[in-house]
Amino acid sequence: MKVTIYIPAALREFTDGRNEVSVEPSGATVAEALSALWNAYPGVRDRVLNEQDQVRQHINIFVGNENIRYTGGLTTRVPKNSQISIVPAVSGGQ
Amino acid sequence: MNEVLVLIGQVLGHCRVIAQIGEGGMGVVYRAYDEVLHRDVAVKVVKKSATPDISSRQNLLQEARASSSLAHPNICTIYDVGEIGGDLYIVMELVEGKSLHGLAGEMGLPPETVLRYGVQIASALARAHDRGIVHRDLKTANIVVTPEGLVKVLDFGLAKRVGGGILDAPTLSFSTVQDGSSMSGTLPYMAPEVLRGDAADSRSDLWALGVVLYEAASGRLPFGGRTGFEISAAIMREIPNPLGPPVPPGLWAIIQRCLAKEPMQRYQRATEVQAALEAVQSGGIAFPEAAEDRTAGPPRTTTMHSIRHVRIKKRDFVVLVGTNKGAFILRSNAQRRRWDVGGPYFHGHSVYAMAYDGRGDQRRIWASTSSFWGTLLRSSDDFGKSWTNPQQAPVRFPADTGTSLKNIWQITLGRAEEPDRLYCGVEPAALFESRDAGQNWSLVRGLFDHPHRPRWMPGNGGLALHTIVLDPSNQQRMYVGISSGGVYRTEDGGQSWTAQNRGIRALFMPEKYPEFGQCVHKIALHPARPERLFLQNHWGLYRSDDCGEHWTDIANGVPSDFGFPVVIHPRDPDCVYAVPVESEEFRCVCDGRLRVYRTRNAGASWEPLMRGLPQKQAYETVLRDAMTTDSLDPVGIYFGTRSGQLFGSNDEGKNWNRILGGLPSILCVRCAVVEDEGLGNVFPVSPKAPQQVSRKSNASHQSTKRKNKKR
Repeated sequence: MKVTIYIPAALREFTDGRNEVSVEPSGATVAEALSALWNAYPGVRDRVLNEQDQVRQHINIFVGNENIRYTGGLTTRVPKNSQISIVPAVSGGQ
Repeated sequence: MNEVLVLIGQVLGHCRVIAQIGEGGMGVVYRAYDEVLHRDVAVKVVKKSATPDISSRQNLLQEARASSSLAHPNICTIYDVGEIGGDLYIVMELVEGKSLHGLAGEMGLPPETVLRYGVQIASALARAHDRGIVHRDLKTANIVVTPEGLVKVLDFGLAKRVGGGILDAPTLSFSTVQDGSSMSGTLPYMAPEVLRGDAADSRSDLWALGVVLYEAASGRLPFGGRTGFEISAAIMREIPNPLGPPVPPGLWAIIQRCLAKEPMQRYQRATEVQAALEAVQSGGIAFPEAAEDRTAGPPRTTTMHSIRHVRIKKRDFVVLVGTNKGAFILRSNAQRRRWDVGGPYFHGHSVYAMAYDGRGDQRRIWASTSSFWGTLLRSSDDFGKSWTNPQQAPVRFPADTGTSLKNIWQITLGRAEEPDRLYCGVEPAALFESRDAGQNWSLVRGLFDHPHRPRWMPGNGGLALHTIVLDPSNQQRMYVGISSGGVYRTEDGGQSWTAQNRGIRALFMPEKYPEFGQCVHKIALHPARPERLFLQNHWGLYRSDDCGEHWTDIANGVPSDFGFPVVIHPRDPDCVYAVPVESEEFRCVCDGRLRVYRTRNAGASWEPLMRGLPQKQAYETVLRDAMTTDSLDPVGIYFGTRSGQLFGSNDEGKNWNRILGGLPSILCVRCAVVEDEGLGNVFPVSPKAPQQVSRKSNASHQSTKRKNKKR
């Protein structure tokens, strides 16, 4: 199964400039798709997850148009040929 | 035996006894059938010897009733209690499965199984502890795993009320014992405090959980011996043999913390153990390749294009400025009148900490950068032209802590004689140490495991360890400042720490002079008088002349004793600078007049320094790390404000100049003289150096290009 992962501009430094990466995960969850991404481009991992393997507070991960925060987090299932997007949250402040 | 024969076929309450299924420390267990609710149950008949008097029987009944309220999938439910012929009986859920003791065998279980069971046991303990019930006899023989893999903890709260020394085969012939009102349990699982005769509390259960996890992972008990005396001695004094692969370091760390001899040094709650086990579990299962990742790959370097860089020559003077939107590097010479500006580096990232490391052959700038994408420690060996951009965050909490890094507040160099030593103070409050010039970092456990830590409270800026002060005359002594935890000192190189806050007020606490919990803002030490410390507190300016043992109020003549930075003259240990602000509520300099206050008599009196500083409607704030002194003669002093203005004095504070304005909020200011012979070789290409203060108008476009260049 192939999954396409959209890479935001801030992380393309770690994906040889690619804005999309196609991976073939070993399983059907977001965690497994992301694992395949880390294997190919290890620098992305620590930008997206903290050291407790939780998605960083201000980073959102979408499967299609659904934010995985509301669909089971990293255990969310990824349908065939779907796109995962890594997107920094919109937030105001400083 | 007669007892068994008599009971089989009898009805206890509404349960008909069918067969004996076991015999344990408390009595005999039967399978029975509840004829009203039509379900199989277990009935434990407590031997008379276990409850020799009315009072102990009543206590057992009371405990059993309390435990019956523990509805939890990992706790064997108690349905009913009663008496028959003077014997007490307990009707409980019939759990069919194998004991964890039997499953662990002699080799132990695979780590992922231990984690899976451990999470469930910790969850059961958490529920019971929440209800004020302590197990007191947790052991692998009391834990049953069903064929579906569901863990059930048996006999909650019963041990304390049950006496007698009855053989309990599954626990290697060590029986549940109780020879007084407080000591109960099974010897190899007993916590040191229980052996000392103290009452067991929830943390004694967490000790037992550590023993259970150790046994489940290895098939061995952590504390052994041929006799009860030897086992007791091992529990009191010995460190268990380490568990290596396949037991992951995270699990071993959790077990070790459960097995801390002092209850205060263990996890304080079962939920913490559960979270830590889950963290190791998720790390290992969701991302199985993680361990390899963390050692793979060289550090990456990002070259900063389209940014003005400064060109550094021998004996140049640099000022490092960290702001909440990036970092700047300023260059001048010993006169410190004209400045070139490089940057901004790390567009949009908060830079809370910077440092210049000129020890040995180094000329390295350190910076911590924080953004949505996490916090990183980065360095540059060419004055900002390129920076490391590590694939893995070098400063990170171990999995077993259940904690993740929020920010790096302080980067402190080790002593001159330890050129590879570095320290980072971070949020949430913890100290990290590197002994290889920043390549690898480790959490200073002695401080992280301090029993006070659970009671430190976050200040306005978060719960941060923001100040690290090394005693140059004593390699074992170091101080840290924590908001809000106070001052802590180590005398053994970081292994153990004591709170050193005698005399420091904590106005926000019911007890105004507590042992710890003060909101210290900054500490300064002078190398010529290392026993003396100055401290700016959240309300209060203090001095200690005895390595922090006692503190004396020295706010003699300042308009307010609230403030953030305190810096010390490099050659005069009696000369200190501070910037008072009006109050906790209005954290701006008093009366809108920007004034630095100086004492030249160690705090006996203070004088304002203001020539060249705005004295009207200057509602400025200077943050704790946004002020520094240089080592030149005369001494220079530099500070930045939250409104983004950088001020400096090259004559010890007599006259001031605005060096730069319009920066983002300034978080930290550091400076250094570059003592280097070979800079021309390492910095061959540089943009045209400006003659006056200037920032390139198109400097806001930062593009980065990765280069696999090793330092």
